[in-house]
Amino acid sequence: MNKSERLKQRHRAEKRFKFYGIASVTIAIIFVLILIQNIFSKGSSAFQKTVIKVDVFYDSELIELNNGATLKEIYDTDFYDLTIENLLKTYPSKNTDEEDELLKLFSSEAEYEIKNAFLNNNQLIDKTITLEITASDDIDQLHKGNYPRDLPEDRRSITDNQLFIYDYFVENEIINKNFNNYFFTNGDSRDPELAGIGGALVGSFYSIIICLLIAFPIAVLASIYLEEFAPKNKITDFIEININNLAAVPSIVYGLLALQVLLATLHLPRSTPLVAGITLALMTLPRIIIPCRASLKAVPPSIREGALAVGASKFQSVFHHVVPLALPGTLSGTIIGLAQALGETAPLILIGMVAFVVDIPSTPIDPSASLPVQVYLWSESAERGFVEKTSATIMILLSFLIMMNFIAVYLRQKFEKRWN
Amino acid sequence: MKKVKIRAKNLDVFYGDKQALFNVNLELNEKEVTALIGPSGCGKSTFIRCINRMNDVIDICKIEGSIEMDGFDINDKSIDVVELREKVGMVFQKPNPFPKSIYDNISYGPKIHGKGETKDELDEIVENSLKKAALWNEVKDRLNEPGTSLSGGQQQRLCIARAISVNPEVILMDEPCSALDPIATAKIEELIDELKTTYTIVIVTHSMAQAVRVSQKTGFFHLGKLIEVGKTEKIFKNPDNKMTQDYITGRFG
Repeated sequence: MNKSERLKQRHRAEKRFKFYGIASVTIAIIFVLILIQNIFSKGSSAFQKTVIKVDVFYDSELIELNNGATLKEIYDTDFYDLTIENLLKTYPSKNTDEEDELLKLFSSEAEYEIKNAFLNNNQLIDKTITLEITASDDIDQLHKGNYPRDLPEDRRSITDNQLFIYDYFVENEIINKNFNNYFFTNGDSRDPELAGIGGALVGSFYSIIICLLIAFPIAVLASIYLEEFAPKNKITDFIEININNLAAVPSIVYGLLALQVLLATLHLPRSTPLVAGITLALMTLPRIIIPCRASLKAVPPSIREGALAVGASKFQSVFHHVVPLALPGTLSGTIIGLAQALGETAPLILIGMVAFVVDIPSTPIDPSASLPVQVYLWSESAERGFVEKTSATIMILLSFLIMMNFIAVYLRQKFEKRWN
Repeated sequence: MKKVKIRAKNLDVFYGDKQALFNVNLELNEKEVTALIGPSGCGKSTFIRCINRMNDVIDICKIEGSIEMDGFDINDKSIDVVELREKVGMVFQKPNPFPKSIYDNISYGPKIHGKGETKDELDEIVENSLKKAALWNEVKDRLNEPGTSLSGGQQQRLCIARAISVNPEVILMDEPCSALDPIATAKIEELIDELKTTYTIVIVTHSMAQAVRVSQKTGFFHLGKLIEVGKTEKIFKNPDNKMTQDYITGRFG
């Protein structure tokens, strides 16, 4: 083979490699786009809820309240009859069967919403205001276009009559879509139109904070010791191998460990962010130690020597020079570790965070949900409304992860100093 | 005859199983420049790193024999390595300023040794050190800029100023000009000439010309052994050893 042929062959090899590279990147991007498109198309409607405009008349004959009633008086009053009375006015029903069907179009929260409006303004006796009452899950899905109304009547939960009423609402323009505040403020619920990620958000937040408080100091001190002070011998090597192994242990194993040690032996409260945080910290520790050690290792030895040469002790050279230089890498490693912990589901299922928790936890030792487990729970639910909720929760979770990773990259680029 | 500042006696150094220095006996005179020459890997750097016990950080390094400074064994248990390094400063092959401001680079040493309690005292130390290192005029208006923003030659003078800042007695220089251009090198050499009136200086160099220009005494190392040592003039004009002769005339190395 002569020289020019060989040159050509080298160029061809390079082009081939370039093509393979571009092809793999393109395929990867396509997968990500499909994933995102799928989640968005299913989930974005969850940020809206369907509401029905109702002219509510606070009839003094149905509630025994006066203008200026105290909070306690209002709380103690039963608004049920008033609610029924007002909801029935939205459609001229012909008989009681039809009235029942009409009432099923409203969420069970209607009574509370009517009561709440009176709590905000206690001068409404014998007056009328227009309220937007949350619609039931079926109507919500129907209005969002997710409901198959073409099915024969015996195969769907909405009756023909209800469809007729719905069309009447649409015609009279009293049905509407609003921002779904319940999705962010409510805890879990059996009614999809009322279910929210409020509890899961708070639970995940507490878990991550506890995870950070435990894992960060331990991981940083351990990596500084191992990297800078530990003698290089068999024991150190053994520890290093084990840290790498632990980082690869499936997370469910940590869940089993927590189940045995934290719940069965130490009797810590089940399904709580406290236990979740400790479990996630155990799991995250090796995953933080590894990048921490890498960033310490990346500080050039010349910096250490420079410090030692002017008479700094080992401790001073490490804490005055090496650690500050390694800090951006350490922080970004920690944040990425926490982001992994935030998305972790399996160990939380084992420590009982799959429990159905309606209340939003006020302390880390209250039973709670967490974002990824909420996704898991809702994905198993039969109701149509939970499909969009599942995707919307994934969107929230993903946006947190993206935000955390962005912060990690930003910290690293902003504070990383150049040393030569 | 000048007073002997540092005396190495029967010095053997091992890195694990490998012996790096064999029975080195060398005397360094006070307020004089001693140049150490020899091919790469001959043990010059190992030798000067023994003087401020920089080899301590290498776990597998083992030292036998003794190095005395002013008559005291520096490897003795009663000697604190931090105090030793306060007395024996070091400048490295590659300039290694801390990634901090010029001011902080110089003031760091005095601060950790408790010199310069007030801001004024520190300012004075910084100014004096930079002046002694012939860098003051170039940086006096930008003391808060990072030390790493200086040119290579300036960075090396900054490192020399950093070594001076703790007021040492000995300054070790490990090929301080190998990463610098000829002009920066000339400046450093000039500086060394001035510094020798105050400090005892040991310089490792690969440049024969530099050894001739700056040193009064020269030691030639080969394969971990000190082959010959003597007045610089004599070593370069009329060496006793055939190997020295071959090395300085460029026949091997």
